[in-house]
Amino acid sequence: MICRISLNIRYVKLILLLAISGSVMAQGHGPLYGLQTPTLAKGGVDLNVAGMSLGTETETSYMLRYLFSYGITEDLQVNLTTPTLIERLGETPRTRGNSNMPANGDIEASLWYRFFSNAFGVGKRFESTAIVGVSTPTDNVRGQVNVGNAIHAAISTGYASRTWYAWIGGGYQYYFERDDERLGDLPYASAVVGYRPNIFLGDYPKPDWRIFIESLAEFPGVNKIDGQLDLSDTRSTKVLVGPSFLGLYGAWGISFGAMVPVVQDLTPGWVKERYRIAVNLSYWL
Amino acid sequence: MKNIKMMALIGILGIGTISGQIARVDQEVYGMDCAPCAYGLERGLKKMDGLQEVRVSLNDGKAYLGLAEKNDLTLRSIQEEVKKNGFSAKKAEVVLMGNATKEDGQWYIETDNERFAVSQDTSIELVQKLAVGRTTLSGTVQDEDDDNLSDQWEIILSKIE
Repeated sequence: MICRISLNIRYVKLILLLAISGSVMAQGHGPLYGLQTPTLAKGGVDLNVAGMSLGTETETSYMLRYLFSYGITEDLQVNLTTPTLIERLGETPRTRGNSNMPANGDIEASLWYRFFSNAFGVGKRFESTAIVGVSTPTDNVRGQVNVGNAIHAAISTGYASRTWYAWIGGGYQYYFERDDERLGDLPYASAVVGYRPNIFLGDYPKPDWRIFIESLAEFPGVNKIDGQLDLSDTRSTKVLVGPSFLGLYGAWGISFGAMVPVVQDLTPGWVKERYRIAVNLSYWL
Repeated sequence: MKNIKMMALIGILGIGTISGQIARVDQEVYGMDCAPCAYGLERGLKKMDGLQEVRVSLNDGKAYLGLAEKNDLTLRSIQEEVKKNGFSAKKAEVVLMGNATKEDGQWYIETDNERFAVSQDTSIELVQKLAVGRTTLSGTVQDEDDDNLSDQWEIILSKIE
């Protein structure tokens, strides 16, 4: 009973976080966690707010994250995302989280360049996008290690149609040293498959829904503590899988989903994850 | 049917008072897969001066455009708007009013801002109906490279008023 009440409180908390967040937006019209390729129209603006929660064996974090995106050209997009951490974790799992909205306390600016695009049919296209970003933390210490600024680079490629979607991608995040300590680097990869059932193939401006199965693999590296590499710490492996749903109506979009770990081969002493959930609301100006 | 109505309307209004221009465009769009894509394209097109009616269909992969009675819009500007939204503009079915001219055996239809070369794929019967001077017609404008659009097009005629 106590457990159920606790879960309900968490659920209500997440909903409230979204409700008080004012104007709303999401993270694009692709997957929630995995890397994607679509960029905005030239001059297009996308505003997002996301509510994220990450549960570990002992704690749960709650965060709101805002994302502003602007299409410099139809192939070049600039993004700025900032967090509002409601409840931080004491022991933070190393993760990047979402493709363009980190699941940690970083403020991040990024540039997306869609360097390849081939629209070859009605609603169909192949495209590839490269991402580079810089970030600065809003917290001083993460997982008992001083956290500094970071750079991030990723690449993704994918296929979109009116019925099927698929993206694969990989990225790398490197944290710089701060006060003689440095968070380990973070290579990661993602794969996403999406499907829109016939029932949701109604023409614009009818609502548009699709479902994704997302997977994310993260390989956090060793930390440097007090000027020394933490030799007890080796590169960990985490693989998470889960569904997400995306609903679009005119200029509005909502996506929500969850991921659970299926592999957690972690350095001894590192905290294990139990789940990640996220809700995104989007508005395209 | 819409094309016929548009052509009839043009006839009623009096061709002599209208300069050469496009009256209707059904623009094929590739790569548009989602509601925000359609919304963005629709909004972008609606901002263009001279468009009276805009409807975007995801399932058809088309933007259906009705142009104002007097407009300066070009097919090039419409296709550039499609490209600006990240999609690829393909063939376009058009209704246009213009001047038919013949140079070195090649027929052209000229609006105020663009020139449409009549394709050799046009039926002989239709080509034989062409006459130098003002004309109203419909046809399919062939796809051009999105990165190298110009004011020159090739059109396969389907009807001459």
